[in-house]
Amino acid sequence: MQSQQTTPNHGKKHAIVRVGQALISFFAQFFRDLRDGDLWVRLSLVVFGAGYFRRGQIVKGILVTALQAFVFIFYPIALWPYVSKFGTLGTVKRAAVFNPVTLKNEVNDFDHSFMILLFGLVGILVIAAVVLFWIKNIHAVRGLQITDENNRKILQEMEKLEQLARQNGADAQELHRKMQVLKANTKRINRFSDDICNLFNRKFHITLLTLPSLGVMLFTILPLLVMICVAFTNYDQTHMVPTNLFTWVGLNNFKTLFTQSQTITFGYSFGRVLSWTLIWAFFATFTNFIFGILLAMFINNRKTHWKRMWRTLFIITIAVPQFVSLLLVRNFFANTGIVNTIFASVGITDFLKQIGLLSQSYAYIPFLTDPVWAKVMIILINMWIGIPYMMLIATGILMNIPSDILESARIDGANAFQSFRKITMPYILFVTAPYLVTSITANINNFNVIYLLTNDVFVTKDQLLANSNAQEVDLLVTWLYRLTQNYYNYKMASVIGIVIFIISAVFTVLAFRILIRGDREERFQ
Amino acid sequence: MKLFRLTIRHLVLAFLVLFWLIPIIWLVATSFSADTGPNIRSFFPTELSLNNYRTLLFGMDDVARFPSWFRNTFIIATFTCIISSLFVLMVAYAMSCMRFKARKGLITFASTLSLFPGFLAMIAVYFIMKSIGLTNSNIGLILVYSGSSGLGYLIAKGFFDTVPSSMREAAYIEGASEFKVFVKIVLPLSKPIIVYTVIAAFLMPWMDFIFANIMLNSGLSENKTVAIGLYAMVDKVRINSYFGQFCAGGVLVSIPISILFIIMQKFYVEGITGGSVKG
Repeated sequence: MQSQQTTPNHGKKHAIVRVGQALISFFAQFFRDLRDGDLWVRLSLVVFGAGYFRRGQIVKGILVTALQAFVFIFYPIALWPYVSKFGTLGTVKRAAVFNPVTLKNEVNDFDHSFMILLFGLVGILVIAAVVLFWIKNIHAVRGLQITDENNRKILQEMEKLEQLARQNGADAQELHRKMQVLKANTKRINRFSDDICNLFNRKFHITLLTLPSLGVMLFTILPLLVMICVAFTNYDQTHMVPTNLFTWVGLNNFKTLFTQSQTITFGYSFGRVLSWTLIWAFFATFTNFIFGILLAMFINNRKTHWKRMWRTLFIITIAVPQFVSLLLVRNFFANTGIVNTIFASVGITDFLKQIGLLSQSYAYIPFLTDPVWAKVMIILINMWIGIPYMMLIATGILMNIPSDILESARIDGANAFQSFRKITMPYILFVTAPYLVTSITANINNFNVIYLLTNDVFVTKDQLLANSNAQEVDLLVTWLYRLTQNYYNYKMASVIGIVIFIISAVFTVLAFRILIRGDREERFQ
Repeated sequence: MKLFRLTIRHLVLAFLVLFWLIPIIWLVATSFSADTGPNIRSFFPTELSLNNYRTLLFGMDDVARFPSWFRNTFIIATFTCIISSLFVLMVAYAMSCMRFKARKGLITFASTLSLFPGFLAMIAVYFIMKSIGLTNSNIGLILVYSGSSGLGYLIAKGFFDTVPSSMREAAYIEGASEFKVFVKIVLPLSKPIIVYTVIAAFLMPWMDFIFANIMLNSGLSENKTVAIGLYAMVDKVRINSYFGQFCAGGVLVSIPISILFIIMQKFYVEGITGGSVKG
């Protein structure tokens, strides 16, 4: 047990050391390349394409130099103004200034903090990319030099051999063989057309991944970096761009999230919201998981007729877009909605009052307006949506269970329950374990169900929660959403976003470590 | 006795199905109601009419512009479908069938990225789009939906993993390039997962609510997508005059979407189980 726990830690330490070593050797390589490189290699420090020109890779040289020129001309104009203000995020507030030339009030040349943050970050990333490219480029050029010199040396040797052979009149076949050996040692310097061909062959992954990676960088990585930065600023309703400026405040927002005082109630709200998020993630995942599998087994049972029809009928519920079905259900269960009308007329409402589940003051059942009722309803409605989904997945898995195992269990005299407990359930758990882990994190971030069911409908009566714009039924994500969309509190939203990431990441890493430790793959293969 | 148990079994199923379908039945029933608000007195409307459909399709006002919403969403969905299907299949092939230095690192990095809540990034994307003037436009939403679609490559990768590598190796020996192997061998063998990817990408803009809600903030009804437009109809203020139209609209979008979804789910199951068995 102990050895199992220490091994991964060892691996971690090694990983950090490995990264350090890799960095050191990366820079050492750079200096070695410069020391051993010829004039053209060193010239490539200034004109990026120089080394390629020298080795006959003209097109590549032109492309690389053009790229360099583009960055060097474009950067000072477009990005440097932002990068230079990145440290303060701007100092000039927007104001109307009287212009003596036009005799009118005009808006001054103000700083836009968010644009400075965004493009400053882009600028910094571009610098990092250029430096990386610069170093890699030197290495590539130096590699070309080595190949080229090697080729020349071999050519000289070949000539020498030929001369010797002519002088001594040696065996022609022997000479030919030697020449062949030498020739095999030369390396061809790629022409541009070779490089292009490679992009569809050995280096096809570069062609495949370039555009998708660019998309991910622009639409996921860069925005995430920006929002992570916002967590360290005071960007909120009182510092809205473009009329106001915002600036760096260090770790203040993280402190706020854990503070509980007269004016700041984030600490309290965070505790409440976090615990409900975790409870929700647990129940939402496991209710669906268990009942979905049971339903799938019920339908898949040999005795059930019209299997496809039953399945399709259940799937219809999830085939309807969630914004339609959830908004509908929300009105279905509204305080003055149809369910309340029916329940009141058949006496369920009064019955609930009698057994004490419903306070006497209500004339209706507050399905989605009372904190406790709403939480229970949300989990139930989520089952309504989630169980058919899980049923679908479980059906696929059940069909994949090797039938000979079940068959032999039956011959050995196992009854239905035993074979379920010993074979079906472990198999399903084994196959769906990764899915289970991802669906717990997905439920931590499950926005649709709670937002569509409770937005505009649920109003919190807890003043402490209301002070920090939270509600009893909020998950961390819906809280984050409301903070940005309704209250423009970007700084706290970003902090919460980072916290969500940390929770999901820690959970995923732990879960997968446990799963990998309990490796039972062989049992089913 | 046997017959009795069989009947019970099917009765239980029928009861469950009924329970599951009640809200859907209510949706269809209310859409044919003569009343414009939510019917709260009886489950089925007392008076039937096609008025909700007629006003939704032909009687446009400041709130309801269903035909424009449908057109917007259709345009967005078509382009998103093309771009993200290509991205997903390209990334999946590179990650599944090719071996290169950064592969493992990229896979880990992609799964780490997916742990961030999606619309945290969306807030900044909104500002980026705003700075180039693409909020409240179809192009903006197409970019938002398809931009980082490459991250959703896992199911397709799981399927590509099941294509026997011997077939690819045979092609390499005959001198086929990686590009040829991708287009001529792996893709033709992967029809189920292509169908799944294409339909899933097409459905995304129809189903999505949050991203569109952030990107479309002009309040102009004709810019909206179906989801945002229908959402505005059940606003506290409007619900009494528009709930019938909301139901009609819900029925109209749900029919094509349900059909596509039912086609897709078969491949979804294949993809997800095939992928996880291989690990």
